[in-house]
Amino acid sequence: MIRAALPAAALLWGLAGCAASPPLAEGLPTGLPRSIELAGTPFFPQDAYQCGPAALATLLHASGVTATPDDLKPQVYVPGRRGSLQAELIGATRRHGRLPYVMPPQAQELVAELNEGRPVLVLQNLGATRLPVWHYAVLIGYDADRNVALLRSDTRERVEMRWQKFARTWHLGGRWAITTLKPGVVPEHADAAQYVEAAAGLEAAGRHEEASLAYDAAIARWPDAPLAWFGRGNAAYGKGNLVVAADAYLRAIELSPRDPAARNNLAQVLADANCLPEARSQLARAMALADGTALAAAVAESRAKIETRSPVAAGCGLPNRAWPD
Amino acid sequence: MRFEKLQRACVALVSVSFLTLGMQMPAAASVIGTAEAIAASSQTDSLAAVRAAVSRDDVRARLTGLGVDAVQLDGRLAALSEAELAVLADRLDEAPAGGGALEVIGIVFLVLMILELTGVIDIFKKT
Repeated sequence: MIRAALPAAALLWGLAGCAASPPLAEGLPTGLPRSIELAGTPFFPQDAYQCGPAALATLLHASGVTATPDDLKPQVYVPGRRGSLQAELIGATRRHGRLPYVMPPQAQELVAELNEGRPVLVLQNLGATRLPVWHYAVLIGYDADRNVALLRSDTRERVEMRWQKFARTWHLGGRWAITTLKPGVVPEHADAAQYVEAAAGLEAAGRHEEASLAYDAAIARWPDAPLAWFGRGNAAYGKGNLVVAADAYLRAIELSPRDPAARNNLAQVLADANCLPEARSQLARAMALADGTALAAAVAESRAKIETRSPVAAGCGLPNRAWPD
Repeated sequence: MRFEKLQRACVALVSVSFLTLGMQMPAAASVIGTAEAIAASSQTDSLAAVRAAVSRDDVRARLTGLGVDAVQLDGRLAALSEAELAVLADRLDEAPAGGGALEVIGIVFLVLMILELTGVIDIFKKT
């Protein structure tokens, strides 16, 4: 019996994985409290295979959106996979007007986010690398003295998980975590590129109003991020505000002179404002810069469209600017 | 009289749709989206852009095959950028799909079952 049980124990141990990670107290950034619990975070127990909708509803509620798991299920659940995909959790967050910010893959980032009062949705692998069991849970706190992570998970409102076990399951899940932000809120520890990309996702999903707020917040935090200005230009153009759009694209070009996209879009604004010679000269430059890149086709298409426009007698409708060479 | 009311309603409806159409026109024009610009700056060839163009239909077909309601798919796909769709099209089958912890119990049980049946362990007492 004992002889027989050994291989079984070894197999189960192997299933659970055994990557070493340090206790929480050793990795806790200085200045953070010894323990945090966002006790006000709501709880939605999951139905079978519905941890995605349940975890997302928890996060959205915490950011002020009243969506239930039942509302979210038709937006994220994939029956054939008996689960929900990360990309679709991101998409559904946008549909509810929140900015899904994918966290940098360090545990310190997760606890820093908790410290700002926001719970974090994490992907865990409760199985092993080769035999994964994917699960979404919501991290609502930690206690460094007791070395535990606090979670809203599956059908349990409050789970205390040994920190190393949490860290291991999160590591096996690819260290993926998101927070759902009100547009305009920028986490203290946020990364500029990552945040602007998240704002661009709102824009791509057609949430122009929220994207616009996010770009403005990004510019306030990182005034020299060219893509934040580019995004503001797109948001303004979407609202038909050509002057604001032109100025934003100009700033983007100033910060990143070799970017063909900003020139292409500036040319579009110029053309719409009936400044055709200026538009054509920006496009010629954009064509040269886009040569051999993924944007070559898009710029060529803009050029073809603008070539067919004929000038209106009223002349250029934008205030005089020193358009870039 | 009634006809006149209907006519007026029709005119109103048509003008509203024209107005909203007009308002959406700029977005439909050829500005390059921010997500597209970001994706382009991290790609060195134009192949990926071509792939993105076909991936929307690809992802649609495969999610339908996985049992997602076709009526819901439009809204779901519209919430994703082209680059995200391209990634999804590449990895839809192996991308993590979080479902829940219930399976862990199932797997442990299955392993014990196999070990029991093959005679490696003997924990389920037989009478």
